Amino acid sequence: MPDFVFLILKLFSMKRLSLVLSLVLFVAGFALAQKTITGTVTDEAGEALIGASILVKGTTSGTVTDLDGKYSLSVPDGSDVLIYSYTGFDTQEIEIGTRTVVDIIMAEGISLGEVVVTALGVEREEKALGYAVQQVKGDDVARSGASNAVDGLVGKAAGIQVTRSSGSVGGGSRILIRGVTSMVGNNQPLIVIDGVRTNNETLLSQASTAGTAASNRLMDLNPEDIESINVLKGAAATALYGTSGSTGVVLITTKKGGKKNRLDVNFSSSVGVDNITRMIDLQNTFAQGRPDTYRGPETGESGSWGPAIADLEYATNPDHPNAPGASAFDAAGNYKFDKNGFLVPKGTGNGVPANTYNNVDPFFQTGMNFTNSISIAGGGETATFRLSASDLKASGVIPNEEYNRKTVKLASTLNPIEGLTISGSVNFTKSDYVRVQQGSNTSGLLLGMLRTPGSFDNTNGFAPEDAVNEVSAYQFPDFTQRTYRGGGGYDNPYWIINNALGYEDVSRTFGNVKADYKFSDWAILGFNIGYDVTTDVRKQEFEINSRTNAGGRVQHDEFNTQQYDSYLNLIGGGRLNDDLGLNYLLGANAFSFDNHRTQTRGDELVFPGFLDLSNATAVSAFEDINRYRSLGFIGQVELNYRSLLYLTLSARQDYDSRLGDPTDFKLENTGFFYPSASMSFVFSELMNSGSTAFSFGKLRLSYAQVGSPPPNPYSTSSVFVSPTIGDGWGDNIGFPIAGSTGFDQSNLLGNANLTPELSTTLEAGLDLRFLNGRLGLDVTYYRTETKDAILNASLPRSTGYANVWLNSGEMTSQGIEITLNATPIQTKDFSWDTQVNFTKSESIVNKLAPGIERLFLAGFNSAGTYLVEGNQYGAIFGGAYLRQDAGTDKDQSLNVPGGPVVINDDPNSSEYGFQAVDPTQRSIGNPNPDFIIGWNNTINYKRFSFNFLLDWREGGDLWNGTAWALSFFGKSGLTAETRVEAAAPIEGVKSDGTPNDIAITRGRSYWTSSVGGFGAIGEQFVQDGGWVRLREVGLSYSLPSRDWFKGGSIGVSGRNLWFQSDYDGIDPETSLTSTGNGQGFDYFNMPSTKSVIVKLSVNF
Amino acid sequence: MKSINKLLIMCVFAFSFVGCENFIGGEINKDPNNPTSVPVIAQMPAFQIAMADVYGGAFSRFSCMLSQQVEGVARQWQSMNQYTGLTPNRFDAAWNNIYENILNELAIAQASAEADGYNHYLGILEVMEAFTLMTATDVWDDMPYTDALKGVESINPTFDTQASIYTVINAKLDNAIKLFGGAPGALLPGAEDLFFGGDIALWNKAAHAIKARGLMKEGDYSGAMSEAMQGMSSAAENMAYQYPDASAAGQWYRFNRDRTGDLEFHPTMRTLMTDLKDTDRLAVMDQVFDPSHTYLVADFLQELISYREVQFIIAETDFRNNGGTQAGYDAYLAGIKASFDRLGLGQDEYDAYVADAAVAPGVGNLTLEIIMTQKYIAMFLQPEVYSDWRRTGIPTLLPTSGPTIPVRWDYASTEYLFNTNSPSETEVSIYNDKVGWNR
Repeated sequence: MPDFVFLILKLFSMKRLSLVLSLVLFVAGFALAQKTITGTVTDEAGEALIGASILVKGTTSGTVTDLDGKYSLSVPDGSDVLIYSYTGFDTQEIEIGTRTVVDIIMAEGISLGEVVVTALGVEREEKALGYAVQQVKGDDVARSGASNAVDGLVGKAAGIQVTRSSGSVGGGSRILIRGVTSMVGNNQPLIVIDGVRTNNETLLSQASTAGTAASNRLMDLNPEDIESINVLKGAAATALYGTSGSTGVVLITTKKGGKKNRLDVNFSSSVGVDNITRMIDLQNTFAQGRPDTYRGPETGESGSWGPAIADLEYATNPDHPNAPGASAFDAAGNYKFDKNGFLVPKGTGNGVPANTYNNVDPFFQTGMNFTNSISIAGGGETATFRLSASDLKASGVIPNEEYNRKTVKLASTLNPIEGLTISGSVNFTKSDYVRVQQGSNTSGLLLGMLRTPGSFDNTNGFAPEDAVNEVSAYQFPDFTQRTYRGGGGYDNPYWIINNALGYEDVSRTFGNVKADYKFSDWAILGFNIGYDVTTDVRKQEFEINSRTNAGGRVQHDEFNTQQYDSYLNLIGGGRLNDDLGLNYLLGANAFSFDNHRTQTRGDELVFPGFLDLSNATAVSAFEDINRYRSLGFIGQVELNYRSLLYLTLSARQDYDSRLGDPTDFKLENTGFFYPSASMSFVFSELMNSGSTAFSFGKLRLSYAQVGSPPPNPYSTSSVFVSPTIGDGWGDNIGFPIAGSTGFDQSNLLGNANLTPELSTTLEAGLDLRFLNGRLGLDVTYYRTETKDAILNASLPRSTGYANVWLNSGEMTSQGIEITLNATPIQTKDFSWDTQVNFTKSESIVNKLAPGIERLFLAGFNSAGTYLVEGNQYGAIFGGAYLRQDAGTDKDQSLNVPGGPVVINDDPNSSEYGFQAVDPTQRSIGNPNPDFIIGWNNTINYKRFSFNFLLDWREGGDLWNGTAWALSFFGKSGLTAETRVEAAAPIEGVKSDGTPNDIAITRGRSYWTSSVGGFGAIGEQFVQDGGWVRLREVGLSYSLPSRDWFKGGSIGVSGRNLWFQSDYDGIDPETSLTSTGNGQGFDYFNMPSTKSVIVKLSVNF
Repeated sequence: MKSINKLLIMCVFAFSFVGCENFIGGEINKDPNNPTSVPVIAQMPAFQIAMADVYGGAFSRFSCMLSQQVEGVARQWQSMNQYTGLTPNRFDAAWNNIYENILNELAIAQASAEADGYNHYLGILEVMEAFTLMTATDVWDDMPYTDALKGVESINPTFDTQASIYTVINAKLDNAIKLFGGAPGALLPGAEDLFFGGDIALWNKAAHAIKARGLMKEGDYSGAMSEAMQGMSSAAENMAYQYPDASAAGQWYRFNRDRTGDLEFHPTMRTLMTDLKDTDRLAVMDQVFDPSHTYLVADFLQELISYREVQFIIAETDFRNNGGTQAGYDAYLAGIKASFDRLGLGQDEYDAYVADAAVAPGVGNLTLEIIMTQKYIAMFLQPEVYSDWRRTGIPTLLPTSGPTIPVRWDYASTEYLFNTNSPSETEVSIYNDKVGWNR
């Protein structure tokens, strides 16, 4: 068998496929002294176990047993331990010594030895747990090809939902465990690495609906450094983390060296290519202008409502009756906006037909990323270490966007004396980003790009790849922009990627030091302290003549985030008698968070080409400090009766600085208490043992109550702020103004009487395993009642304020999680493992503040996400068509009323024949998916491994604001069809209830009316954002080990290669507002990407 | 080193309850970024600029679009120009600014000025409050006042009638004028007063002018005349805010820069001025919707109430009270002259213009139509033109769509949503519900 592989490798080498492969061949070709071990693997009854795996410890080389339970394995010299494993049986490690035949009897031990890391790093037998925990292997995250560990989790555990916010390289992702927990506070889970809290914040330096893509800080962790990830889902699982764990916890354990008395070196290298998945449908049939009238770029005309491009031709003679004014020509008499000339009706020009320009697809390039990582691990009886380094270089699908990341991590453990273990790790990450403006922003890349008429060429005749670096493509010699609106409107996309870039430079250090001393089994004292320091330095540039900041702007932002987390724990346990066991934990925790932002902004630059504060005539600055601290005292007792019944009781008392009146501080006002209880009943213990059909059964029950402080510090007092002044149509102005400062009472009222918001969770679960564990089913149901939720309740502005912090919200969340594991095929050469993760969660807002029926989260006036009483969390709210039942007895809530759409039948109205507008804004969409299914498969055939992950997200509305706006401008694909359709009545009824018979054509007057783009109606562009997606697919080959070459793998994988969705815009996996709570908005978002990655990994 | 100390401190605290209070108490939750109280002089620039900015912003744009001085031609402004786009949320910015950033700040400042006996300061704040209330009630009619600005103590403020708000306005102005005549108190307004630099005589004139503006609408022409006579006596005394430069540019400049092409000069006004051979002023005004233009410049002088408005009030009240005397006629011409001055035009252009009998028919031949038409032109982009047009119907305007030009603004969407004492959206018609003084 190895010879065959050897031959294949040789063939590869002869073809000189790559230098790397020949290195592999060279390494693999060293067939040096090794011995062959043979044997049989059987169960206790003497039955042969087919497909049991045998691994040479510390390597990836191994084999599986054949149909007779027999195996044969070449073991390199120096390797002495074999690991035998078989699903449903206890894993055994056997020292082979001088033997050449090793027969093994495996003992059935479903999950008996399976140890899970739970809250605070406490290891527990999985069967003792009364709540749901799901483990994801680090290799599975690394295999996904995602450089962001959050992205690598998609579909791999029930109960989690991951949304990538942008196709921009270096854009972050949002993760939720069991949907939302808090109404307006953070809903992303706590990230704990090696026992201490780690920063996963997303910091925005501009408005959430504009600016650039933003990272989530877990991106600073190299996925190759992850050993495993445990997802703690419910309140009982996370109660020991107190407040910070109320949104779930992602426990990441990083790789440490092993006690193998030797050095392991791993090197992996990958190359990936990214392309955009898809673009919104645009019309390129009709030219810039108004119906029947072409209006060229010099007119500033915004719409593409003109004649068909096919009916136009070029002219160059300035005396032509349709010629634009003299200002549209340069000194040499050439038309400035198109080298071919200006456009005139066919037959009146020079006979050269008008070009149709595709300003969108050719703009995007193939993004590339190169990742190299190396790790050296080793150790002996008293010390281990692992040193790793990685380098990621990525260029985006958007020219000039970049993401680079370098990481270095050292982890080590030391056992200086019996019983004392000291371990620690330190991770340095340096990331830098070059980003392009996106979203609702006149300098947003897609805003101008998608609105550009097909009759205008953004590249000025250059090939797109040349226009990127060709100033004359996007700028006139006088530094004004060459845009389709004669310099008005929006930035030319090629101008943006050269003149409105954002730079980010992130330096981060995080790690921990941990010491444990074991006095006895009954007393292990542990101390763990972690630190996480991030400096994020940003510069956002806007060159002079930017449409957003016409005078030019340079904005420097520096964010410094420091967090410290420390734990002191005393744990112990053992058996009280033959039947009864006890484990306990006592602990204390102190946490401190500090974020300091300073911004210096320079406006009104003197001359172009020098984007520096010294070139600014108006410089302003501000600072912002956010800090809070918390203390917790923890106690937990676990009682177990035989292997049958486990009962865990825990309590935590927290004190949090975000509560209490700072002017009248009382410790008791900052405190809150969390009790939790969980039970695990392994009922299969009561049944006849030895049944292979039904191998294991466990019932879980848990109850927990957790509390949360206000989402932000300083919510307990009211303050004065230095306001910005304006009304939303032009830039706001801010102090200091001409030497004056000014202060204004904040629109948000503080509240010294805030108490923690309380959530009570009941969870029940069933864990069943069959056929020696080859089939497993885990079902969990939970229900969480949240009350006293802290809201920034809206006030009518006539109160003088916009919001007040109130303990007033109530919300009910419930959900079902199902995980199905199966190994349908397991033979010597062939195995198939499959896992289905099903997630359904729903959070209903029961109550907001008194007198308030909805609360704004994010978005726009025409459509925004709100908390609405009786509705699902974050409902999309906006303008709706008038329905017949509106305002009648049947219209009881803010949902869209029943009955047919009412048509405006007022003949004097400019909207005669259009849908009438409901004066009340309605709940027009629900951005939460109905369910999510991840189907993960691994098929191994000999040394080949094939995997795929299907990601199915059912439902979840998205507001297609891009199509909404593009319809106004006559650029969306549908406006090409509707403007030429035969006049017909819109389905609906007239005001007297009779069927509508007013025939209209949906042309410019329709799409620019209140039912069109930018109008009052949002509902016509709310679309189903669900998908079925081939999230991951991969094929890899594991290289055999030869002596000092300890194997490896070579593989190709794809991410996001295919998806199917009814959504009409770009890939619906997108979020304008980044990782915030308001989801469901697509407004000129960057299109998402698909990737193909080739990866080589070798071990020495 | 600092970090190590911090670590050590944390370790110690984690072990002892004794340290709890220090670890999380004290200054930790005190906002280090923002003060919990500020003196009146620190508030003043904020609400003065907020007032100038909303007056020259939302109030100017909507009022002058409805009065057909400007025309919405692109994007959202196209549908607002057709009135269909005038949904409640369009008025949010104006409403929110009035209540949150102006009236609420004035209330806080007044309470502290009153408590400290800063009489002249209090007078200024009352003039500003009267001005703000009038600006708001002129477009919104009934609005919360007595029950407003109380934060959580009254989360659903009831609406006061316009008549009662006008009573408050007049009382505030009378009280201010009285305070200006008395002892100033311990704090003298100074450079932080961006309108008048603390000059109480000028504030006193402004108070009279504002009162004249209000009495006109209430139909008290003799009262208005007598107040106007005590108003500002030259353009140098205008109640106005001078924007410094492009770093904090005037509203129209910012709008034109960031929303180029959304609003243009209105054909109705162009025709009206062309017919009057008002070519010099037209040449300045007709190109203003271009950020490079010389009138709506970055360092714009945003007038809140001006000498030329006062002159037109004198001309109109004189005509209404006395049928038109020389004094009224002189005021009429002075108003036109002040408009030429404001636009940067000289004596020659003015002389040429008033040589036309259609403009200057001589005392005795003056009509309300002529006065109000000239006021309409002279008050270019001043929100007051909308009140004048509603009050007098001059000049004649045709709706851009439908049968009626809106006669009021809708309430803000936030008020409809969050105030249970607000009328519902369907109860308010911007086409039919005239404001109190217009009924």
